[in-house]
Amino acid sequence: MDPTAAHYMFQDDPFLMPRNAANSRLFSLSKESGRNAAKYIIKQFPQYFDKTFAEPNIPCLMPETFTPQIEGVSEEALKERIHLRRVKDSVDLFDQLVQAGTTVSLETTNSLLDLLCFYGDGESTPEKEKEEEDLEEPGVNASEQKAPKRQFQRGSQSSGSRWRENNNAERIFKIMPERNAHSYCTMIRGMVKHGASAKAYDMYIDLLNERHKADVHTFNALITAVPYLKERFLERWELAKVFLNHMAQQEVQPNLLTFNALLKTLRRCGGVGRSMSLLAIKEMEALDIEPSLATYDHLLFIFYRGADLCPSGIISEVLDDVEKRSFTPQDPDDGMDFSISALFKLGWKANFFGTAMQVCCDLKDIKLAYQLNKAMEKGDNWKFLDMDRLNAYWSKFFSLLCMMEQIDVVLKWYKEMSPSHFYPTPKNILDLLQALDAANHLEAIPSVWEDMKQLGFNRRQDLLQELLSLMSREQHPEEIQLAFAKCAEDIKAVYEQSVREQALLEWTGSALGHVALLFSRAGRTQDAWNMMERFQQINRIPTDQVMEEFLNCAKQTNCPDEAIKLVKLAAALGLPSSQRLKSRTEKEFELSEKQK
Amino acid sequence: MGDIGDSGRGAHGWRRPRGHPVWGLQQRWLRSGDSGQGVTGRGGCRRGVPGGRCPRGARGTRQGQPPPLSLTPVTSQAVPRVRPGPDATRHLHTTPACLKVSPGGAPPPPPPPPVGCPPPLMPLSPQTRAARVRVGKGDKPVTYEKAHAPHYIAHRKGWLSLHTGNLDGEPGAAERAVEDAFLRRFLYGTFPGVLADEPVLKRRANLLVVCAVLARGLAPAKLYFLLGYAETLLARFYKCPVRLELQTLPAKVPYKYL
Repeated sequence: MDPTAAHYMFQDDPFLMPRNAANSRLFSLSKESGRNAAKYIIKQFPQYFDKTFAEPNIPCLMPETFTPQIEGVSEEALKERIHLRRVKDSVDLFDQLVQAGTTVSLETTNSLLDLLCFYGDGESTPEKEKEEEDLEEPGVNASEQKAPKRQFQRGSQSSGSRWRENNNAERIFKIMPERNAHSYCTMIRGMVKHGASAKAYDMYIDLLNERHKADVHTFNALITAVPYLKERFLERWELAKVFLNHMAQQEVQPNLLTFNALLKTLRRCGGVGRSMSLLAIKEMEALDIEPSLATYDHLLFIFYRGADLCPSGIISEVLDDVEKRSFTPQDPDDGMDFSISALFKLGWKANFFGTAMQVCCDLKDIKLAYQLNKAMEKGDNWKFLDMDRLNAYWSKFFSLLCMMEQIDVVLKWYKEMSPSHFYPTPKNILDLLQALDAANHLEAIPSVWEDMKQLGFNRRQDLLQELLSLMSREQHPEEIQLAFAKCAEDIKAVYEQSVREQALLEWTGSALGHVALLFSRAGRTQDAWNMMERFQQINRIPTDQVMEEFLNCAKQTNCPDEAIKLVKLAAALGLPSSQRLKSRTEKEFELSEKQK
Repeated sequence: MGDIGDSGRGAHGWRRPRGHPVWGLQQRWLRSGDSGQGVTGRGGCRRGVPGGRCPRGARGTRQGQPPPLSLTPVTSQAVPRVRPGPDATRHLHTTPACLKVSPGGAPPPPPPPPVGCPPPLMPLSPQTRAARVRVGKGDKPVTYEKAHAPHYIAHRKGWLSLHTGNLDGEPGAAERAVEDAFLRRFLYGTFPGVLADEPVLKRRANLLVVCAVLARGLAPAKLYFLLGYAETLLARFYKCPVRLELQTLPAKVPYKYL
């Protein structure tokens, strides 16, 4: 694989290749939005795209028919509209049927309830949502204003709009002549999904009063809702235990999602969570349920993200388990985001590899990180990291490498990983510079500067300061010094040019001093003098070291005029060292009478 | 006017093989000064027009035009033109006998090419206008593609559309042509102003690869948007996978100025 190439979804062209993480995200998202635009056109004008001349016919390339075929007021028509997920139409049709007096079967009513609870009384497609907003009565409550933000994550609620008072689902539920367990279960799940946890609990009590049995999905939903029902950690755990006991009483078999929901609840139970989660894992093993990545993610979070980091060996056990298996997504929380556009709708998701890498960084354990890497490359596990998470993952890995490993290993990884695997963040560049410094490998700095320019970091003050200070700290051999001087010239250009959109970077005293120093060391007297002149402009004073270096340079290049100018400058600025400089100048240079 | 019995030197003093297996003895060469009249007596036009009048009428020679004479065989009888076999590929592109040179003109002979050099390619007739950019004042930049006329295809130009429809026994050439026309218009409209050259369409089995060269007039994010849009729309339209491969250039590349 070519380490210098970008991801294959980008065109192989220097203009179209993304150079940093922001660009890569922008380009992939714009490509995706282009696709969405095309899909919109096809949906608007299906008549131009529905000729079937391909042999065999390719159904995924045909426009989808969303218009219901069956007309008229009948149960069949209702079933069809439910199947096509047209929420408003099906509700209207149901009302018409009820008013006409025909009984709608329990099954159909249940499926209508399923539809309503899934979409939370909103529509399934975004444009219909807007229409729905206009048609509803204004000012019922805040949920309508929140409806346009349906796509975005809000606080700690999982998805979708709020559950309104007496919305369609509740209304239909109330007028149902008979209800079975399924109806109650659907209502509970819908209420939990859309944030009405207290109502869900009441509905559950009703269900118990009717002596129905709830199914496993309902219990999962209820366990997920526990943190919203109780505030204190112990109460939460007690309530979860109540639900689990009911489950056992009603002989409902728990599944993977049950335990994941339990662990998710325990995440918000603090210290209680830590002790109980191990019991939950043991229970899982006893029931022979294989944990998914979300399970491990919850575990790691419980143990390593709390305020007090007590060391535990959990992570190594977890990694041993993870290494052996190739995971398939079983839980929506596994962190799988196949399409990038889903990122907007799904909000916050558990993310095993990211969390695990964060833990490795916190523990400063490089071996664990290598193990994690190997686990990620096994089988299908790489699919659990989408583009953003990939960048964050590799970025953390690289920081850890810079801290812990030898410089040649670091450089090898750096060459291999950027830009194909990830785009270094500013923090990564800083870590890299520090690693180079620690290994006394400062001659690589000009190439790092080139990378910085390509990544678009060449206007960041902190990086520039770091770079300059590293370059100017010590004297280096000749060619390195020349290379440094060229870098310094680039940086000077960066400070001085004012690109139209960006504000002018202000010179700082240290930066100016470093640049002058670098020029002096490389023997570029004129450039150095230009720098010295600027000191007055920014109201700063050059350090003694800078002055000394400048004098050295002037002596080497045999420019007594410059030396005199320096002395004059020092005198003008009223520096205490001006006397010393003057004497030194007189001693080292052969000056004519006038110059004296 | 010499028969094949002469030394076989054509109009340009170029040696031709005698007794060519296909051309046989019935052919002779047009030479300078030859008004091109063969049996029919008309200016090189061999079509049997009932009524005796050529609808195009006789044309006077244009002054200053290079002579269209080439080393073409001219049948002495009205036999159908026989195309030579594949070993003489360059002659596939030399002119068939339909030259519209009118009598009375005596264009100066072109300078003889050096020995061993292939003969210059000639178009159908000096009056053809297909796919040629006419010479103007010299301020019009013209790409390599546009600068060359269609008789240079397979000599100096490649094809813009590659598919197997034109091979022997393969169906669908006309459908491909219609699809190509649509695709070119679609691309011209989707990438407004940034298409630097004609897109090349390549078909491999079911896959359609569109290779387009763009100028850097739009931001890369916008180009990616158009890319995703075009790929999806065309795939749904033609029910086959479509891949767009873009290449950007700083500007359109002129080959010459006409």
